[in-house]
Amino acid sequence: MRQALSDVLVELGKKDPKVLLLTGDHGYALFDDFRRECPNQYINVGIAEQNMVGVAAGLARSGFRPIVYGLSAFVPIRVLEQIKLDVAHDHLPVIFIGDGAGFVYSHLGTSHQSTEDIACSRVIPNLSVYSPADRFELTQCLSIAYRNNSAAYLRIGKADRGDVHQSLLNIKSGELIQVKKEKEGRYSFIATGSMVRTAIDVADKLHNINVWSVPFIKPIDRSMVEKICHNSEAIVVFEEHSKFGGLGSLIAEIASESSPVKILHVSVDDQFSQKCGTYEYLLQEHELDFSTVHKKVCNYLQSV
Amino acid sequence: MKFNPKTLRKIVLDMAYAGSAVHIGCAFSIIEILSVLYKNHLRYPENNPLSEHRDYFLLSKGHGVMAQYACMHELGWLSDDAISNYFFNGSDLKGLSDSRIPGIEVTSGSLGHGFSVGVGLAMGAKLNKTNQDTYVLVGDGEINEGPIWEGAMFAAHHNLDNFMVIVDENGFQAMGKTQDIIGLGSIQSKFESFGFDSITVDGHDEIAINKAIEKLRNSDTKRPKALIAKTVKGKGVDFMEDDNSWHYTRLDKESYRDAIASINEGDV
Repeated sequence: MRQALSDVLVELGKKDPKVLLLTGDHGYALFDDFRRECPNQYINVGIAEQNMVGVAAGLARSGFRPIVYGLSAFVPIRVLEQIKLDVAHDHLPVIFIGDGAGFVYSHLGTSHQSTEDIACSRVIPNLSVYSPADRFELTQCLSIAYRNNSAAYLRIGKADRGDVHQSLLNIKSGELIQVKKEKEGRYSFIATGSMVRTAIDVADKLHNINVWSVPFIKPIDRSMVEKICHNSEAIVVFEEHSKFGGLGSLIAEIASESSPVKILHVSVDDQFSQKCGTYEYLLQEHELDFSTVHKKVCNYLQSV
Repeated sequence: MKFNPKTLRKIVLDMAYAGSAVHIGCAFSIIEILSVLYKNHLRYPENNPLSEHRDYFLLSKGHGVMAQYACMHELGWLSDDAISNYFFNGSDLKGLSDSRIPGIEVTSGSLGHGFSVGVGLAMGAKLNKTNQDTYVLVGDGEINEGPIWEGAMFAAHHNLDNFMVIVDENGFQAMGKTQDIIGLGSIQSKFESFGFDSITVDGHDEIAINKAIEKLRNSDTKRPKALIAKTVKGKGVDFMEDDNSWHYTRLDKESYRDAIASINEGDV
């Protein structure tokens, strides 16, 4: 997934000399190719994220296409006000990439973990929010963000969970992507980012489950969500993000207006990580590991 | 003569009275600075506030926006109605600067934003190889904000000699004197140490301001520029000068009349 990110950045940079890559001193090795191919389009702004976003806004006003890279704990969280006032308010075409979302930095603790970024970013007007599950979705999201010529936040979580899709996709912005289809699909799993893999794995152990990936958190195709809700006896939403304000909230908001359905939220509870450990360990702590999720989902589906 | 400080201050009073608006003191300390900038330095081809070839003026201390509105009225960018209907329901001009108004580059009020956006514009002009200049006006209280100093380091590192920050050093911020809240020491020394060419000047002396800006502009260094303008909050109305209550106080019929009289009788 990280190679795909590098490849798209290089492709965009070579195609459009107005593309500038700004980083807040993050992304070691990730930008080697970009720096080699587009050396004059790379700016390490230093450890100064607030200034980085303001500078990106000024550059965008000057006709450039800044892509601002940081860890999602900092971009967008630390710079939310700059994104709101300096960029989104004025419809400026700045793409924000927040890397390491969720519990990727499991050993480093709360400062580098990010489970609030979708909630915080999706309430900002004029800002699109994307959350790809694999390299194919990432490529598509970044290409769409560039083509849309407006402000966007791209969330990148655990990057090495394998592909969800077989090949590059041809999808429209906002569409949900069906990644598992059953003839008698009574229930629907709706997942985003790293948890799409888990949703598929759990569905494979059960029957009658359709699984959907949501790379486009905002804007999202509401009619597709309504249809899925309407055709399902119950929904399970999977995300490596707080249960407040993320994909689960979004699906519930849409469902409650037009297609009420029971929804189980598989997400991060209202708490910070307590312990240090591997990514898998942190998923267990937050009850997002496969076996805990599998059990939780089975119990829920038996009860509805 | 356009941009006469007395005229500008009266426009500010008209707006503040019409809209029962606050922040009069914040606007009065920057009147002469804005007068000099708009009169002598800011280039707007065909008087078009949206010209892609314009210089950039960013009022980072959005609290002084009535002074900018007064200048924009002088330029013909704002109508008489916009002044007399200030704060009326459905009107466009807000109490803090909003970038959707042609002539205003950034949305401010939350402080410390305009500086970095200005740095980005200055860098954009360098990359585009245009001769556009960028001026950012910040308050002395505003430089409490961290991003100002992040941006200062960046501007100096990248030799943005087309960038000038002007500090309105009126000695006050919202809740009192700057020296009692966060002592600033020598603002000029701070910017010098961050790699700026700098001059301190009487911020109500138009000739001195103009000379200082020209001197900084003509400097042969590659350093960004800092003009520290020593000003008086509420300048121009005797009972407002150095009285921080005019950060918040609204005019009534009597104080409006007295303020106009004070301007008419005053030296500036």
